[in-house]
Amino acid sequence: MIPKPKDIVESLIFISTEPLTLEKIQEVLTEFSKEEIESAMAELLTFYSSKEGGIQIEKTAGGYMFSTKPDCDPWIRRLLHANRKNKLSPAALETLSTIAYHQPITLAEICSFRGVDASYSLKTLLQKKLVKIVGRKKSPGKPLIYRTSKRFLTYFGLDSLNDLPSQEEISKLLEEEQDEGYQESSS
Amino acid sequence: MDTSKDYQINLDVFQGPLDLLLFLIRKKKIDIQDIPIATITREYLDYLEKKERINLEREAEFLLMASLLIYIKSQMLLPREKALEEEEDPRQVLVNRLLEYQKIKAACALLREREKKEIPKWKRIALPPYAIDEDLELTEVSLFSLAEVFFLLMKRKEQEDIKIIKGKEYTLEQKMKEILAILEENSFLDFMDYFESRETIGEALVAFFCLLELIKAKIVIAVQDKLFHTIKVWLRRERKK
Repeated sequence: MIPKPKDIVESLIFISTEPLTLEKIQEVLTEFSKEEIESAMAELLTFYSSKEGGIQIEKTAGGYMFSTKPDCDPWIRRLLHANRKNKLSPAALETLSTIAYHQPITLAEICSFRGVDASYSLKTLLQKKLVKIVGRKKSPGKPLIYRTSKRFLTYFGLDSLNDLPSQEEISKLLEEEQDEGYQESSS
Repeated sequence: MDTSKDYQINLDVFQGPLDLLLFLIRKKKIDIQDIPIATITREYLDYLEKKERINLEREAEFLLMASLLIYIKSQMLLPREKALEEEEDPRQVLVNRLLEYQKIKAACALLREREKKEIPKWKRIALPPYAIDEDLELTEVSLFSLAEVFFLLMKRKEQEDIKIIKGKEYTLEQKMKEILAILEENSFLDFMDYFESRETIGEALVAFFCLLELIKAKIVIAVQDKLFHTIKVWLRRERKK
């Protein structure tokens, strides 16, 4: 007897090491139609969002993945003998955000946006696999072109690049900062 | 109102000249679209002058910006025959850069919040070890993985404290023939085993160069059945004898 599609989907996500897409599930789960799989996935998501527990399902980088609940972090780290995961350095984050909003982009372009040499932080980002090389630009010197990777999306819990903080959010934050600036100097 | 004196001068806190400039503009409540270039240049230079020494390697970019500011200032002072049209404002290039940079900074703050939320979550990143398949799926490896394994082996060899009594000369040609002979006989060569049984680092090095040469000439192919497994070297089937 075949188990319920919801249970199979759950087991597939459990065993995946990267976000599992619906297309991939369909490839494996040939016994069920696309619609059946989609409704099984929806069922699974409601199941997890309605129940308490130490793990959750997240939609990230176009697929689904299990992740532990943030509150459990201290004990997981005890088990793994791991320190708190490192934040990105301010320089690396600035370079990454430049790439994210202006990709595809070359190193020279990143440097000109930031006004500083970004080659070191770019190297760090490549090592962390948060950005990838996608080719060379057809211009003098044929510089390499960079884009953010799938891991970038997972790292920030984004489903796709469309989920990056929008221009509106950015302008709103800038206005707030401006107001704060006025308050500070007037007080 | 000179508040900059209250601050310890430390360029390290700024991510670059644009960051410093933006900080000064905010502090002075200046409208980015209409920067009083003389004031801001003075402020900016004050900042640099307060530093005893300029570390050229790390702070050259701050000097570059200083010269840009002075250049813009001089452009604005120069008398012109015709009044400046708006798009000819020498400040415009700088303003555009600042506006764009400001957006990137704001995006950084928003991404930082997301990062903070994601950091305490853990995700599975590797499969638990499982049994090896019967039929191997061979993947061609890059020269980099080949070199990586090689250096691993060399490190091991270094640790074995061997006293060399006599040196022996190895030539590329001789070694190449040797490797090909092994391949003809055994059909493949186990990269790890082969190098581990070499006598000296010198011999292993020559053999490694041979192998790289053979791969480059497309006479042999290096394959690895699984990540972190040993690398096997095969003769290319289509090779003509």
